Amino acid sequence: MNNKPKIGVYVCHCGVNIAKTVDVDAVSEFASRLPNVKVVRNYAYMCSDPGQFLIREDIEKEGLNRVVVASCSPRMHENTFRKTLNAVGLNPYYLEMANIREQCSWVHEDRDEATAKAKKLIYAAAAKVRLLEPLYEKEVDVEPASLVIGAGIAGIQAALDIANAGFKVYLVEKTPSVGGRMSQLDKTFPTLDCSACILTPKMVDVANHPNIELLAYSQVEEIAGYVGNFDVKVRKKARFVDVDKCTGCGICAQECRLTGRIPSEFDMGMGKRAAVYMPFPQAVPAKYTIDPERCLFLTRGKCGKSPKCADACTAGAINFEQQDEIVEFKVGTVIVATGFDPFDPARKPEYGYSDYANVLTGLELERLVSASGPTGGAIVLGEGENAFVPKDIAFIKCVGSRDKSVGNEYCSRVCCMYTAKLAHLVQEKVPGSNVRIYYMDVRAFGKGFEEFYDRVRRGGVRYIRGNPSEIFKRGDKLVVKVEDTLNAAPLEDEVDMVVLAVGLEPRNDAREIIDILRLSQSADRFYLEAHPKLAPVDTATDGVFLAGCAQGPKDIPDTVAQAKGAASSALVLLSSGKVKIQAQISFVNENTCRGCAYCVEICPYGAIELVAISRMGNTVQVARVNEALCKGCGACAAACFSGSIQQKSFMDRQILPQIAVLGVMR
Amino acid sequence: MSTQFEPNIVAFLCNWCSYAGADLAGTSRTHYPSNLNVIRVMCSGRVNPLFVVNALQQGADGVLVSGCHPGDCHYMEGNFHARRRFTLLRELLEYVGVEPGRFNMSWVSASEGAKWKDVVGEVVEKAKEAGPFKRFRRDKINW
Amino acid sequence: MNTELMTAELQDFIQNHDLYGCIQCGRCTGGCPVTVRTNLNVRRFVYNALDQSMRDDLAKLPEIWDCTACNTCAVRCPKGLKPVEVLMGLRNILVVEQGTVQPTVRDALESVFLEGNPWSKPRKTRSDWMEGLDVKIAEPGEKVENLIFVCCTVAYDPRVQVLAKNLVSLLNKSGVDYGFIGESEACCASEVHHLGEEDLFLEMVESNAELLNDYVAERIVAISPHCFSTFKNQYPALKAKVIHYTQLIAELLETNKLKFNKEYPQKIVFHDPCFLGKQNGIFAEPRAILGQIPGAEVVEFERRRERSLCCEGGGGKMWVESESKKERLAEIRARDAGTLGASILAVACPFCVLTLDDAIKAKGLEEQLRVAELLEIIGDLVD
Repeated sequence: MNNKPKIGVYVCHCGVNIAKTVDVDAVSEFASRLPNVKVVRNYAYMCSDPGQFLIREDIEKEGLNRVVVASCSPRMHENTFRKTLNAVGLNPYYLEMANIREQCSWVHEDRDEATAKAKKLIYAAAAKVRLLEPLYEKEVDVEPASLVIGAGIAGIQAALDIANAGFKVYLVEKTPSVGGRMSQLDKTFPTLDCSACILTPKMVDVANHPNIELLAYSQVEEIAGYVGNFDVKVRKKARFVDVDKCTGCGICAQECRLTGRIPSEFDMGMGKRAAVYMPFPQAVPAKYTIDPERCLFLTRGKCGKSPKCADACTAGAINFEQQDEIVEFKVGTVIVATGFDPFDPARKPEYGYSDYANVLTGLELERLVSASGPTGGAIVLGEGENAFVPKDIAFIKCVGSRDKSVGNEYCSRVCCMYTAKLAHLVQEKVPGSNVRIYYMDVRAFGKGFEEFYDRVRRGGVRYIRGNPSEIFKRGDKLVVKVEDTLNAAPLEDEVDMVVLAVGLEPRNDAREIIDILRLSQSADRFYLEAHPKLAPVDTATDGVFLAGCAQGPKDIPDTVAQAKGAASSALVLLSSGKVKIQAQISFVNENTCRGCAYCVEICPYGAIELVAISRMGNTVQVARVNEALCKGCGACAAACFSGSIQQKSFMDRQILPQIAVLGVMR
Repeated sequence: MSTQFEPNIVAFLCNWCSYAGADLAGTSRTHYPSNLNVIRVMCSGRVNPLFVVNALQQGADGVLVSGCHPGDCHYMEGNFHARRRFTLLRELLEYVGVEPGRFNMSWVSASEGAKWKDVVGEVVEKAKEAGPFKRFRRDKINW
Repeated sequence: MNTELMTAELQDFIQNHDLYGCIQCGRCTGGCPVTVRTNLNVRRFVYNALDQSMRDDLAKLPEIWDCTACNTCAVRCPKGLKPVEVLMGLRNILVVEQGTVQPTVRDALESVFLEGNPWSKPRKTRSDWMEGLDVKIAEPGEKVENLIFVCCTVAYDPRVQVLAKNLVSLLNKSGVDYGFIGESEACCASEVHHLGEEDLFLEMVESNAELLNDYVAERIVAISPHCFSTFKNQYPALKAKVIHYTQLIAELLETNKLKFNKEYPQKIVFHDPCFLGKQNGIFAEPRAILGQIPGAEVVEFERRRERSLCCEGGGGKMWVESESKKERLAEIRARDAGTLGASILAVACPFCVLTLDDAIKAKGLEEQLRVAELLEIIGDLVD
């Protein structure tokens, strides 16, 4: 085969995006004089069908064997043009792109400067493309199982979809029960259907599904491997309750010496639980857990004469000897559905949340209006003699959202509607109450949202436009210091209860999953999707997908939709059973390798090992790359003293010409 | 005609963070000087220190290596390797008399288009201060 | 908006104050403490300043002088704007372009320009308060751990000179390395900025930074929160770290270099100065000092720390009288302190001393309550 390079250079106008700033004709003329260049064309949209046709035609008719496309970022269209080459039988890795849009025409204003830079970038690409070698993508099998991290509504939905398609799912949940934030809600907007009524059946399905292995009260510790073949390590935390024996009867909790003395996480601290507890009555699995940080026996080694829970349990399920257990398994795909944290209003001290018991968050009020909540659904504040029913109630929106002063510039997307919902519920439950909502904008963008907002307003809830600045106490009343902006009237509104519509934030333990899966974060600190529009459930790591609020604030319908999207993306891999792996990986020249093993040490994936080979009659140690494990970072190639280990498509001899061109050309 | 010295800078950017950040600067239509040209590698860990020396030999007045923020490397630890290598190289370059402003490292994430613009501005400014670099230069393309 | 109809000056004004960034949420006016007694509505100023014809009239509204520069609007703004600075910008237009200011303001500015203080006192008497005291003066170029900046009001006003005197005595007792500047010290120009004389302000910033950078100081310790905040936030060229004296004293107590060993049997309520607390987040140190005072009972205002109520001492209010005849904020403060049964209304700012002194008299509470700066309280508590 004649391997003398015959290069085609294709300069894209990208409409006017490139052509307006870069003189494409001058660039083309320049390219035509470069070594080994046979064909140069410029065209309005190289990525369009006719554009790609030009390339295909030239490969076939002119015998091109190398292609340079000067257009947008390779991150945008490298795959597109690889396919173009492949379609006419040219190895797709004989392609090099020159980024003359994102890093040239869009960032420079001077036409001469941009044109000169485009020439350099094309020259560098042409210098490299001559030396590229054909690469072949290998296929590996996909382990027909999926890991779903987080069992809120997103994780539950994704797990059910994958399991229903016939694949094994490991559903890992950090807390003792599945259900997540949705299980804490009373009603859901805008339909006001009961949250538990629509969620609990799904929770039960998850527990009973033959394809789902539920690992509640467990944490992912480690994920190694690559798409199709992830090795997962999960820590099943000790519950100190034998779940096989526990019947969920609850006698242990009744007997516990700390009953009614520990703030219940599920009730946002408004209700109390025991040290042995089930987070809420509909918990799945319906098993008890001993809180190791609270239990007297576990913290002090002593609980009266003997722990009352153990004495009371007729099933003998209490086991203080229980240890954490490490579970290991293999999956082909991972779905991250770890959810959010509500914004902590203590970070806005001007609202007095830490000082006043009758300043609540939306989620706290949610527990208060819930029939399963600490007051059985009655809106009552205070305890005992001091208990009272608030009549004047103010809601404050955008607490911790759209607020640079706390570092959250984004809109949390759910607060407008949950505020409307809660205002409506409170008004229903407290006859004669005066409910007002202080807002800066109302965003009712979802299906049925605007209609619901209308309904709530017409029901008598006052919407007053102004974002409150301060809350303090005067006598028994809370004073909301705010301006009614539509009247230009500063007010000191005296109320009995203030509800802060707190926004959604990335979980405070978001870092754990980042470290385990190498995820990125967007500027808002939520997990970063591969593309904000076209790959909203994918991540930069193949085989790892996002669902729900881990990726950004969303309501339940959007969360479920994204969970189904993530499940379907995972299923594409699982059901095809094969996945192509990285071709641009490292390889070793065994004739020159000295076996120093520096590359072995540096490889983050353990993809390189020393093997003994026979070289000129001697047995010598040389490095060898495990192609399935290599991810193609090239750290080994930079570390090698003899240049024996190289990264395909990024070899020293391919990069040095780029450096030379960019260095010399002025 | 302006006689102001316009430096020539070669930059090595990792594909996942800095290159994506530079793309974002373009998508957001920020403007920065055209003196800097990018070579894309998959990871800053791929950048052999000799590439930097080579660039200076080939006529670059300044070199930039940019990767993901420490701890955020797409390949887990490539940027740590880069950081160690280039801390040493920087000292070596200084030792042999290369002005410190010619060699730069930065951490730019995929969401930091604005930071990329600042980094380019800074690197160009430093190279301008340092002036044309001739000490290592070979005068014809040599690969 | 048709930008062709806008002057370049207005375009700069809009850009400098990020006026297009405002979403009119009202948190600025909502939090503004003076709205209970004046017509000031800073949100509307921000809104109307976008319009050329409206903006030039805004500066003439009398309530523009009601702003105390407490900075609540800027601290609370969700979009990072500084509404207070819009008002200062408008005052600047009034002072510089239209030249229509009250004589008191004119005199204060002139005095800063000529004598380096706004109180129309001669420059050479700035250190008179030191007479008879064992004060260490640092020389330019000298290495000094704590360079003390006195503040014009403390230097000249007999009511608060005791602050500086007591600080000297405490510093001497603690054995910590310090130095005063002496007669070359000049006004930090905080009030110049707030009175709208921006050119003079920038001039003072430059000359003061030069003066202060002449010392090899580890830190600059300001007695007044106004000087402290201005140095910290508006003097980018300063080399030394800037702290408030309460931070220094708290540190000396913490490291046992100072120890209170006399009783002070009073019921104390602490008023957070805006320039110390709200603007710079210093809440703990003054309370740490109070907590160490033997025999004292410390109580708290309902409106404290981040929610403290301004005393109306800042923002040039020392030289401009509000038209409002309604109860002053300082009077509300005095009344609240009285209700709490406090015998001492403690502050950590010379301006707060002056406003609250007047308020206690106006409320007729002198019998039961008096104002004391922390330095006044603790000055005699150390042997």
